Amino acid sequence: MPMLRMPPPHGGRLVDRVVKNKNRAEKIAAGCPRFELKATLDPKGVPIRHVYREIMSICYGFFSPLEGSMVRDELERVLKERRLLSEWIFPFPILFDVSEDDYKALGVKEGDRLLLTLKGQPFATLDIEEIYRIDPKDVAVRTFGTPEKNPEVVRQPFDDKHPGYLIYRCHQPVIFAGKYTIINEPKFKEPYDRFWFPPAKCRDVIKNVKKWRTVIAHQTRNVPHVGHEMLMKCAAFTGDIEPCSGILVNAIIGAKRRGDYPDEAILEGHEAVNKYGYIKPERHIVTMTLWDMRYGNPIESLLHGIIRQNLGCTHHMFGRDHAAVGEYYDMYATQILWSKGIPSFGFDAPPHEVDYGLKILPQNMGEFWYCPKCGEIAYSETCGHSKERQKFSGSFIRGLVSEGIYPPNVIFRPEVYKVIVKWWKVYGYPFVNNKYLKLKAQELEVDVPKLELPKG
Amino acid sequence: MPHYIGVIIDDRRMEKIKGTPLEREIKDMFGGALKMIAVPVPEDKSKEILKAFDKARIDSRGYIEDIPIALRRAVFEEMVKNKSLNIIDKVLARLPEIQEAAKKEDEFIPPPEVE
Repeated sequence: MPMLRMPPPHGGRLVDRVVKNKNRAEKIAAGCPRFELKATLDPKGVPIRHVYREIMSICYGFFSPLEGSMVRDELERVLKERRLLSEWIFPFPILFDVSEDDYKALGVKEGDRLLLTLKGQPFATLDIEEIYRIDPKDVAVRTFGTPEKNPEVVRQPFDDKHPGYLIYRCHQPVIFAGKYTIINEPKFKEPYDRFWFPPAKCRDVIKNVKKWRTVIAHQTRNVPHVGHEMLMKCAAFTGDIEPCSGILVNAIIGAKRRGDYPDEAILEGHEAVNKYGYIKPERHIVTMTLWDMRYGNPIESLLHGIIRQNLGCTHHMFGRDHAAVGEYYDMYATQILWSKGIPSFGFDAPPHEVDYGLKILPQNMGEFWYCPKCGEIAYSETCGHSKERQKFSGSFIRGLVSEGIYPPNVIFRPEVYKVIVKWWKVYGYPFVNNKYLKLKAQELEVDVPKLELPKG
Repeated sequence: MPHYIGVIIDDRRMEKIKGTPLEREIKDMFGGALKMIAVPVPEDKSKEILKAFDKARIDSRGYIEDIPIALRRAVFEEMVKNKSLNIIDKVLARLPEIQEAAKKEDEFIPPPEVE
């Protein structure tokens, strides 16, 4: 077996669309019409997405080779074949959407440059290449698939109960397509600042600080219970001539479904795993990506592959019900994609075996449960006592937490549980609720430094 | 096939059921690190619960989860009062009161004191 090395970024090079020189930034943005970025709201007025997170992830290279909001042909290509016009795989529509009223008020046209402000300060520009309209419901349906068109993995029609579907369904109808450029770097607040490793920096840390040759990525939207910890530890035995040198946890930070944990608790919970030695810090790092999670199971796993390859990982662990909510998809949909492909989504072969595909290697994992007969946490494909198994059911654990019952060590490490309680005290609630979503949309993870731009 | 509501038995709850027939219903979980009583819920009654609480769902073990704390507390209270697990009708009779309490839980749940 050949020794693995860090794969190149998806598309060949990391996108870097962040202007750090103030004079250049001023020149780029001077005299542009301004538009204050705002959250996408659900029909009840609850924020479910903020486009600034997409702009950050594009400009810092997490979504390389994507450079901006998609033109109509690219949107169609993504919906039909999950590919950009440059051929490279990309799973989700990424769109800068505005209402008809905002479009009218702005009075912009194709070829114009728009200054995007965030918290009232200049943040980024959008060079408008094309303006077109979408039917948000049509985009939502086609993004996630239907049981008729995608019978391999879609089990029931998507509806407003699905948070990702709802995000697209609530997009505004007018799309400005074009490249984004950040002209005024936001500053991350605590605790996010500790976990911000954009791809270029992350690759440098892996190579030169951690000195890891192989790295397995762990996707998370959860505070880690011991089942997650076992998944990380065991999946990391994958590698080539030896287990992976490192485990890179990458938390998705943004608006989440009600009942998930607050972002701060997710990040610090994972940090506690290495801080208190359950996985030693020499072998473990916690990072984050800004993205309002779409819960798209196989579709989401493609984005995860792209992000983590861009971060420099050689492998990606995929469990059952990966990035899933409800029973819209087959619980093994992601593993089906990464083991044989899903033709109806444009994959006759797994995403790492097609042209212009990914270089990151999948590690499809079963599940971990507590086996009273073995007297230990066991792997589903090894343990022969499936009748006696006691699962780490997320909803069971949420019930335990909300009742205020101190969870035993075999479910949560005490230091991890203390992180949950720490943020529970801050927000008066252990999980994401409407109040948290509203506060988060207002405060965001960043502040934007003051920047005066010359007029015209 | 019945579904179940799992009620975790911590030290405080254990005090209340000690010496009653309920004690025999306690099951060990996670190697004895947790103790639980599984209260059976006939299918038609579990449908009623799912209808009353929009976040409630049946998990892969057949347990009704993501239910309000108020519902779980009511299940325990009725268990203790009746010294039996056959109490779902009595719990459902208290639905309006439980729903009212559940609404408040969407906004605030008091955090535990942890050392």
